[in-house]
Amino acid sequence: MTREALERSIIRLIRIAGILFFAVIVAFPFYWMIVSSLRPLEEILMNPANLGLDFRKIDLSAYYDVLFDHGFIRYILNSLYVSIITVALSLTLATVGGYAVTRLRFRGQSFMSYSILIIYMFPAIVLVIPLYVIFSHMGFRDSINVLILVYLAQTLPVALYMLRSYFKTLPLEMENAGLIDGCSRFGVIWRIIIPLSAPALASVALYTFMIAWNEFLFAFMFLDTPDKFTLSRGVVQLAGSVHLSKQLVMAASVLVTLPILLLFLFFERYLVRGMTSGAMKG
Amino acid sequence: MASLTLKGIGKRFGKTAALSGVDLQVEDGKFCVLLGPSGCGKSTLLNVIAGLVPQDKGTVELDGHSVDRLAPRDRDVAMVFQSYALYPHMTVAKNLGFGLRMRGVPKATIRKKVLDTATLLGIDDLLNRKPRELSGGQRQRVAMGRALVRKPKLFLLDEPLSNLDARLRANVRLELKQLHSQLKTTIVYVTHDQVEAMTLGEKVVVMRDGAVRQTGRPETIYSFPADTFVATFIGSPEMNLYRGMILRNGERPVFQGREFHMDMGNLRLNLVGRGVDLGFRPEDVRIVEAGAGTLPVKVEMISDVGSEKFIHTQIGQEHLTLRAPKDASFRPDEIINLTIDLTRLHIFQKGVRVD
Amino acid sequence: MSVNSKHHRESRLAFWMLAPTFAVVLAFVIVPVIWNLWISLKPVSLADLRGDALFQFNLSFENFQKVFSDPDFDTVLLTTLVYTIGGSLLSIFLGLMAALLVHAEFRGRALLRGLFIAPYIAPVVAVTFTWSFILDPQLGVFNQFAVDHGLLTQPIPFLSQRWLDLDIMGVGLRIPMALFSVILFEGWRYFPFAFLFILARLQAIPDEFYHAASVDGATPFQRFFHITLPQLVTVLSTLFLFRFIWTFNKFDDVFLLTRGQAGTKVLPLDVYDYAFGEFNIGASSATAMVLFGVLALFIFIYFRWGMRIDD
Repeated sequence: MTREALERSIIRLIRIAGILFFAVIVAFPFYWMIVSSLRPLEEILMNPANLGLDFRKIDLSAYYDVLFDHGFIRYILNSLYVSIITVALSLTLATVGGYAVTRLRFRGQSFMSYSILIIYMFPAIVLVIPLYVIFSHMGFRDSINVLILVYLAQTLPVALYMLRSYFKTLPLEMENAGLIDGCSRFGVIWRIIIPLSAPALASVALYTFMIAWNEFLFAFMFLDTPDKFTLSRGVVQLAGSVHLSKQLVMAASVLVTLPILLLFLFFERYLVRGMTSGAMKG
Repeated sequence: MASLTLKGIGKRFGKTAALSGVDLQVEDGKFCVLLGPSGCGKSTLLNVIAGLVPQDKGTVELDGHSVDRLAPRDRDVAMVFQSYALYPHMTVAKNLGFGLRMRGVPKATIRKKVLDTATLLGIDDLLNRKPRELSGGQRQRVAMGRALVRKPKLFLLDEPLSNLDARLRANVRLELKQLHSQLKTTIVYVTHDQVEAMTLGEKVVVMRDGAVRQTGRPETIYSFPADTFVATFIGSPEMNLYRGMILRNGERPVFQGREFHMDMGNLRLNLVGRGVDLGFRPEDVRIVEAGAGTLPVKVEMISDVGSEKFIHTQIGQEHLTLRAPKDASFRPDEIINLTIDLTRLHIFQKGVRVD
Repeated sequence: MSVNSKHHRESRLAFWMLAPTFAVVLAFVIVPVIWNLWISLKPVSLADLRGDALFQFNLSFENFQKVFSDPDFDTVLLTTLVYTIGGSLLSIFLGLMAALLVHAEFRGRALLRGLFIAPYIAPVVAVTFTWSFILDPQLGVFNQFAVDHGLLTQPIPFLSQRWLDLDIMGVGLRIPMALFSVILFEGWRYFPFAFLFILARLQAIPDEFYHAASVDGATPFQRFFHITLPQLVTVLSTLFLFRFIWTFNKFDDVFLLTRGQAGTKVLPLDVYDYAFGEFNIGASSATAMVLFGVLALFIFIYFRWGMRIDD
């Protein structure tokens, strides 16, 4: 056997083992989350090491409890509201701003680009205390709409940066054609830039949605009234109150995870593009 | 349709002057070609006319009225771009009708005008396609159609043929010329291709370094180039050009170059004692038997273009190119004798034509 | 004149188009940082938030003194560094491995790529609770399974035990168990981030390089060390810088896994504990300022020696 052939077969073995390893460590927690949410407490207590799921004993009661007794319907609606409004605002403002940075000439353009990147690196923990103090003082900390503004500040610079990179690749002649055909600047954005940027806009929308939907720290610090809780905040609340019932916590976890994973499954390539165009943070 | 007047247009990009003091008059219905090497400012000038790039100095007038304050959409001009810039998310019909839609033209009218234009250009069967489903030639037509459909005051074309292959380019050139004589519209056409300029233009504007070097009918520019740049830029193969001095030989003026001297015949100008550049085109040279006043040159290389031959020769250190009929046969290193048509000499002093 | 006003118009338009973004960022990023500096220099307790005490001009370095003189400060800082460097390196290493596995063409590759990103997409609360449950010493499947199958003699409280004494072939080894678990979690959750960037870079390496190396007689492993790895140096170091910055300031993961118990307290948790454990907003702000200082240092490093940003 030549060295080339030997190494090749070693590599094949490593690859199979490696793929199995990664598949298991990645998939198992999600599998376990779902299985445990369908299995009553007694069964977990009796046999915690049972890896399989007995389909005859599937128990959906935890979902019922979480949704109706623990207010998760409300939390789902709140999370949807927060995420969708954040996405809409972020997309609109980032499109308009990204266009300005790309195409219009003004002083301080390069300064803008740097600030965007610096803010991209900015961690939430540095901002949470001062914001907590300001909004507590002004008396509207416990508000979903304030939360939206905070999320907007977190996502907008990155969204703008992503769109700017994309707009730069669009041919200038196309916009000039639009201007001559009778569009105003905003007409060009609306009728030419936006339709042409659909993939980039999808990436930005997904990214923003993910940030807003998954966000924990600000929701945890800002929201006091259960009626205003987002899902993440609700799950933490639930975990604190029903410490032993793992089934409920896992059902709640499934509820908060499922939408984002499904969304991601359908639009995977946009999300991947969004992330690799230098846009993810976490 | 309209006439276009440019007065003292100047434009800088940072430290480089893209345009300096450009004056131009294009009469109503004229086909005007802006010709020059890349980077000469011709495309910038076109963008200034369209209102896409604001000029620093000067005014743009359509029909005698300044349009400097008007946005591109309010100038009533149409433009065909080098890349065509078709909207990829719209069908051909939508692309053609977009400008009309933006101006609030009723839908039925748009449909009719789009169909008329598409028929005129022979693309009426493509109306429901998207640009990516079209060939290069078809895209070019759609781009033309998008400009035509609006019947604007002024057409601006920015190297519209440069993305077509050679054969197609010749066809479209011909069609464009027919279209113009049919529609009698005012056109400003930018190109770096002199053949395009000479065949299409009723008025050719040769530009270099952001300035107009010569304006005139194609044959004027070819026969009476205003300076050495125009002289060498127009014509292929290039004009032969030699630096030298006019001396007096008895009563007759003689050109004394570095490698040869030449009787200038009845040159009336009093240039004796001056340094000049002497030029003549390859077709103004004839091959003759050796005799008095003939110019012996050494054949260097022959390029056969089929319909004729270009003979590249050497006189000492300098080169001379001439056109010969296709049946001419010479071998490299052969010595041949030439005479030059003295009525077709071009004489430049400090780069500028003197007549 | 008329023409110049067009430049002005464009500038003005750009200003208005950027104004909303600018306002949001100013109000929710810039002002808070300045405001944080202000409160970090004042004695502010949680009870003072409603009153005018916030605006009194009584500045001092007391809060910083308190933060730095805290007997646990050194331990917390060390823990933070171990957690940050360990978590960053592990996530990048796993990301590199995953990228190399998925780089070649094979059936199901797209599916696998999608799967590998899941830990990063899922909400942090869900995955932390799930892992806590899996690793739970009584109810957790991991411990029970391992004990049942004789892999462990007794369950290990992965997230709640500070030290674990191991005896490997007579050599005693003491590992900080909870911190170790948290670092493993960090590697699990953030390897997709490195994975995506490394994969993108891998796919940008021209095939010609590999072909040339093969012709030159390099074996697969040699090709990896002499071609692939050098091509990845830039992306790996940039990833480390980014992951370092974010992990250093990471609050959610550790908070949700251990609440900072069992030797896992990191600086970001101090921010929370000062504010809501000791009701000392001033000290909390001062800790946040320390984090901000470290961040500023790294941003400076990034712009000074890192990649140029204008693509």
